[in-house]
Amino acid sequence: MSNLREELKAQIIEQLNLEDLTPSDIVNDGPLFGDEGLGLDSIDALEFIVLLDTHYGIKVPDPNAAREIFHSVESLASYIEKTKA
Amino acid sequence: MYYIHTIASITHQDSFQQANVWNTLTPLTPESTLITPDYKLFIPPAALRRLSPILRMAIAAAKSCQENNEDKIDAISIGTALGCLTDTEKFLVTFHSAQSDTLSPTAFIQSTHNTIGGQISLDLKNHSYNMTHTQNGLSFEVALMDAILCADDGKKAVLVGAADEAIGFLKQLQPDIIQDNRELTSGTTCCILSRERKASSIGIVDCLVRAETSDWQTDISDFLDRNETKIADIDAVFVSQLEDVKYVDHAVCYIDYTGLYYSASAFAVHMAYDKLTHTNAKTALIINRVCGNQLGAILLQKDEAPH
Repeated sequence: MSNLREELKAQIIEQLNLEDLTPSDIVNDGPLFGDEGLGLDSIDALEFIVLLDTHYGIKVPDPNAAREIFHSVESLASYIEKTKA
Repeated sequence: MYYIHTIASITHQDSFQQANVWNTLTPLTPESTLITPDYKLFIPPAALRRLSPILRMAIAAAKSCQENNEDKIDAISIGTALGCLTDTEKFLVTFHSAQSDTLSPTAFIQSTHNTIGGQISLDLKNHSYNMTHTQNGLSFEVALMDAILCADDGKKAVLVGAADEAIGFLKQLQPDIIQDNRELTSGTTCCILSRERKASSIGIVDCLVRAETSDWQTDISDFLDRNETKIADIDAVFVSQLEDVKYVDHAVCYIDYTGLYYSASAFAVHMAYDKLTHTNAKTALIINRVCGNQLGAILLQKDEAPH
């Protein structure tokens, strides 16, 4: 299970060009968006949609659900696990 | 008369934020590379991670101009011949090889030409008029003419400039689409244009744009006639084509110093600006024939009237 979280961190860093970060800089349940998190924004949210589709074959059908799914690495991983189960 | 001041360039020369580029120019060699500043000093990290090389250098040059300019910039006019090639290539390659229904939005958003003026506007937090002009080899001259129109329209400080980038794929295509085998390079120049003369100002007397010329020497002669001068009276002449040096006495080929990119005449303005500022030369002429039958010309003059 933890492999998925580490895999996601590496994919996030690559997809979003977060070249100054390493996976260990990203806390599993820390917020990804906003000033208190990694400072990601709405374009990054679109990148997450691409990431989920490309790497996991998962589409996010409800844009309103995206805010909750994309909150943290933990919430992303939980959504992937639930969808794939 | 229009005036330019606060000029900034990122090129294969050590030109960024240097007091006198004219004194340090050296002809390009095959080992020459783009000399870039530390972009983190000019662009917030959150924005920087998304920006391709052309956007980074254009924004850094624009920001340098803004920091050194007293007046608020109230228009932005940028020229680019080929636009954001890195992002265009990235988007097209992803599009071609996509295994899913969705594509990364960043490369798509930034692959359009007008991204450059728009990104400068966003980064400067300047929401006034902004325009990116794409007219092949005359992109900078058209941007300059737009800046002049903005100044005529009452804009007090217009950011005008140009940017172009070379990518590996362009170099592959060069024999087929560019009738010039000189080294393809990248570069950007930005400056502030206004109708107000300042201590550091150099005058822009006139700008010529010919989408197609059949006799460039006659067109240049007519251009100088309308400005009541002649080529022999111009102190510094900058030409894009090496062969033009033999037609114009005392001319310098600016592509020897920039490498080949279609908006390099913007850096020729920087060269002329520093030559007029730091030497006894009083007038300068830039002749741009870098692309086919297109002809651009810019006449500059040191204004020695008391400030």
